[in-house]
Amino acid sequence: MSQLVLQNLTKHFLGATAVQDLWLEVQAGEILALLGPSGCGKSTILQMIAGVLQPDRGTIALDGKLLNRVPPEKRDIALVLQRGLLFPHLTVGENVAFGLKMRGINRAEREEKAIAMLHQVQLDGFGDRKPSALSGGQAQRVALARSLVIRPKLLLLDEPLSALDANLRAEMQDLILRLQTQTGVTLLIVTHDQAEAVVMSQRIALMFNGRLRQVDSPERIYQQPSDEPVAQFMGGVNFFAIQAQGQQWKLPNGLVLVSQHRHQGAIRATIRPEQIQVFTEMRSQNNVIPATVIANRFTGTQRRLTLAIAANLTLQAWVTPTQDFHVGQAVWAYLPPENLWYFSQTSALPQAVEVP
Amino acid sequence: MLRNTLIVLVIVVLFLPLLPLLVWSFSQGWFFPQFIPEQWTFQHWIQVFSPASRVMEGLVQSLAIALTTTILSLLVGLPAGRAIGLMEFPGKAALKLFLLTPIIVSPLATLMGMQFVLIRLGLNGTLFAVVLVHLMPTIPYMTLVLASVFANFDMGYEIQARSLGASPLQVLSQVTLPLIAPGVVVGALFAFLISWNEFLLTFFVSAGRVFTLPMVLFTLLQGGNNGLTAAVAITSVVPGLLFLLLASNALQNETTLAGLGNV
Repeated sequence: MSQLVLQNLTKHFLGATAVQDLWLEVQAGEILALLGPSGCGKSTILQMIAGVLQPDRGTIALDGKLLNRVPPEKRDIALVLQRGLLFPHLTVGENVAFGLKMRGINRAEREEKAIAMLHQVQLDGFGDRKPSALSGGQAQRVALARSLVIRPKLLLLDEPLSALDANLRAEMQDLILRLQTQTGVTLLIVTHDQAEAVVMSQRIALMFNGRLRQVDSPERIYQQPSDEPVAQFMGGVNFFAIQAQGQQWKLPNGLVLVSQHRHQGAIRATIRPEQIQVFTEMRSQNNVIPATVIANRFTGTQRRLTLAIAANLTLQAWVTPTQDFHVGQAVWAYLPPENLWYFSQTSALPQAVEVP
Repeated sequence: MLRNTLIVLVIVVLFLPLLPLLVWSFSQGWFFPQFIPEQWTFQHWIQVFSPASRVMEGLVQSLAIALTTTILSLLVGLPAGRAIGLMEFPGKAALKLFLLTPIIVSPLATLMGMQFVLIRLGLNGTLFAVVLVHLMPTIPYMTLVLASVFANFDMGYEIQARSLGASPLQVLSQVTLPLIAPGVVVGALFAFLISWNEFLLTFFVSAGRVFTLPMVLFTLLQGGNNGLTAAVAITSVVPGLLFLLLASNALQNETTLAGLGNV
């Protein structure tokens, strides 16, 4: 188990900033997801940690040992890339044993460890096959086995599942988490898929444009995003202007909501669409506001309602699919006070947060 | 059926011209009205292997020159082809065009200057000078072949190998070279055959002191001994054919091609 510390990490490409002043700690044995849209610099960070890219500035340390000048092959950091990249000229077994061979371990021991590792990824008997004979999921499992067999201090996964279909992805997520528990390896996953980050990690580091925006547990980043772009990236859809007087939050149409959070003045408020409850009858209770259903979409696991509150104010409410509604129906939306969240400063869109 | 007919046709067209050579090499005179020679002999082949004819000497020198040229052009072509194939840099298109100049410009145009320089350097007539001029056409071929191979090469393999603990040298020997092997074989084949068959450049630069097989053949052609000429001509075809057979064997191996994706 090893602790990774990144300090002040900065990387430019041809004048453009890929990563800017990044400070991040990954605790020993932790699973951290580096989350962000494509091109936000997360893969650049991974490559710097792996040692295939040199940072312009800043330090990378593993277990207190500075890695900046250590070549990739001496870092004990294993990398699994999106494409799997099994060596096509080697068999599956030789692929898994590759790292051991590079370390000068004798053939008998290599084979024994490779076979044991293939067993752990549930690919018993695949050792003699060629990578071309594997399915995408199998290839990715071999890539995992190949990286774990060398007992790395840190395992880096770069979008490892994005090429797989949804069912296979869930299966692979379970496998990765199980292997992580078995080996205790510190795990850093890079992904652009917020659902994957939430499912797989203990902490999420969310970044836009080469800068970290929030590092928190999945629960907190979901419920208490640091600003509007973060909330949007995590699937937030309900944002409205509020005039706050303590816990009394006034909507633009004059309705007053009660919140657990105190604030004075203009703020932006948000609530997750799945936390809004929709009633067909009026209830005399705080935070129940009249609304009209203007759209009703069935997604299988949810019913996604768009509710009109006032002329320029709509809300998305995702309710259980068993509840049925029709467009034009008058309903009452309940916004639980504990689920109302706000951003004190009016945050600009991520594109506008460039370095001054 | 059509396919087989075509294959037979190709073989006939390619190998039929060699048949009279084979007949000549075993005949003691073969004159016009005769359909086949009347007298047969092994004399020409005995002569081929005798030191006096200098055929074996030429064969050995040709082999040494062709192999050295191939290895040297590989040493230059590998890093150069990798850079052109994998990296983007200003002037890349111009560089690729520039690389073609030794192929486009006739060696006749540059021979005088080359010989002048080699004499100045005191290299004229040395084996080294012959290798040097042979590198002029072989390096561009090698570089361009390897550049197109590397253009389809995924650098992720090298990154992956290093993160698994391979040193840069191990990456080259265990990953990169095995994956680009077909390209290396094709490039080496080109370089070897160009050098092996090179006459004009060798003739001028050797100053009569380096004696390659094409030069032996040329001398014999002027001498008018058809039997011996035929035997030497056949001898000179053999190494190229052997190399080609070896290469096609390596190219048919599917696993070597797997790393190249859709070349």
